[in-house]
Amino acid sequence: MVTEEKKAELLAKLRNAVIQYDEDTAKEAAQEALDVGMEANDAIFNGLVSGMVEVGKMFEAQEYFVPELLMCADALYAGLDILKPHVKQLDLGVKGSVVIGTVEGDVHDIGKNIVKMMFDVAGFTVYDLGRDVPLDKFVQEQLRTDSDLVCLSAMMTTTMTGMKKVIDDLRTRNPNVKIMIGGAPVSQDVADKYGADGYAKDATNALKDAINMIASLKKMKDEVEAKKAK
Amino acid sequence: MKTSLKRELLDHGAAVVGIAGLRGYLSGEISHLDRAVSIGVDRKLNEDTLSQLVSLQKRAVRFLKARGHRTLAIPPDSDRKKDTFISKLYSLFNHKMAATSAGLGWIGKNGLLISPRYGPRLSLATVLTDARLKPDAPVEHCLCGECMLCIEHCPSKAITGSEWSRSSPFAELVKLNACRSHKAAKRATDNKPNCGLCINICPYGRRNSDMKNAER
Repeated sequence: MVTEEKKAELLAKLRNAVIQYDEDTAKEAAQEALDVGMEANDAIFNGLVSGMVEVGKMFEAQEYFVPELLMCADALYAGLDILKPHVKQLDLGVKGSVVIGTVEGDVHDIGKNIVKMMFDVAGFTVYDLGRDVPLDKFVQEQLRTDSDLVCLSAMMTTTMTGMKKVIDDLRTRNPNVKIMIGGAPVSQDVADKYGADGYAKDATNALKDAINMIASLKKMKDEVEAKKAK
Repeated sequence: MKTSLKRELLDHGAAVVGIAGLRGYLSGEISHLDRAVSIGVDRKLNEDTLSQLVSLQKRAVRFLKARGHRTLAIPPDSDRKKDTFISKLYSLFNHKMAATSAGLGWIGKNGLLISPRYGPRLSLATVLTDARLKPDAPVEHCLCGECMLCIEHCPSKAITGSEWSRSSPFAELVKLNACRSHKAAKRATDNKPNCGLCINICPYGRRNSDMKNAER
């Protein structure tokens, strides 16, 4: 059984590895956590994710900029890759699968990848179609995988219009699917006009939003556990 | 700090280390990291140049971070993991730009960094940082002079003979398509993708390797 002291030390190590964007330490600490028999969920949410939440604050305070944010995300992923196979499925009430990609003609995928990370952390099954994805592919993939959610990303006004077509097609084939869109030119107005269910602001904000969503997932998890405890 | 950083890297196998000042050259996402530590490793055959370069780069990052500075390591071109977030920013900056700005050499007629001592036989890695390191004097012009050896020996006639200078960084030095299709053809016939004659023939590189052979 792992002592509370060792546990706190490892959580701090994981957290700092993310904040210090140190991939090697993140991997090392993740492995150590498994070796001493810590819960993978605990290591992810109270270690890695808690570090990323702090990174989000530092980004808001302009202590960190985009490069640091990306490197922190890489460090988080490095640890996550090791811990994830040992995760017990989280009972968040939001389990599901998601199809995600950047629409045809668009090769900008930083924002999309960050959002994908968020879903990964939350324990979703993610079907990542990559970037410059032919519009039909989204519909096919959704039908093939029977996913609950489809996320579309576009960075340019010229490619954004492709989203409308995908949304229309999805709605005719499967009225129940939820659709989220995001990217620099997208606004709440566009989301409403195109008939999307949700929207995230732009690449930089997608970073922030992703961090916020991770933070809120963490909160949800705590609440679920608090309820269980009662 | 600059001297001790350089010594640290040179002691651990770097052939050359230079500091570039990059104010005004960088795009918005990375403009706060306006110094570059340019690291060159002598590209000897049959040795693991790449892992040496990566470990030197990590060493530089540790050195700077320990002193409270921000860093962004741009890995060697042959070690870019495409699936990382940060890899999206690598294309914003290239190693040869750092190396010429740091005074390590110029861009030769063959389009490669030519170091006065090692010729085109260096492998490069860069660490961007906000540490206030004093920049070395940049190299402004091509110093190949009248030498035409790489042009004459290029099997695909890809080298145009134009000369690089800092003021005309986009001059077409090498017809990349010609070079690429030659390499592809070579791969198809004898399964060796690399040509490398323009590296091999360069007198600057030869001189150094001759000297080393003589020492042995």
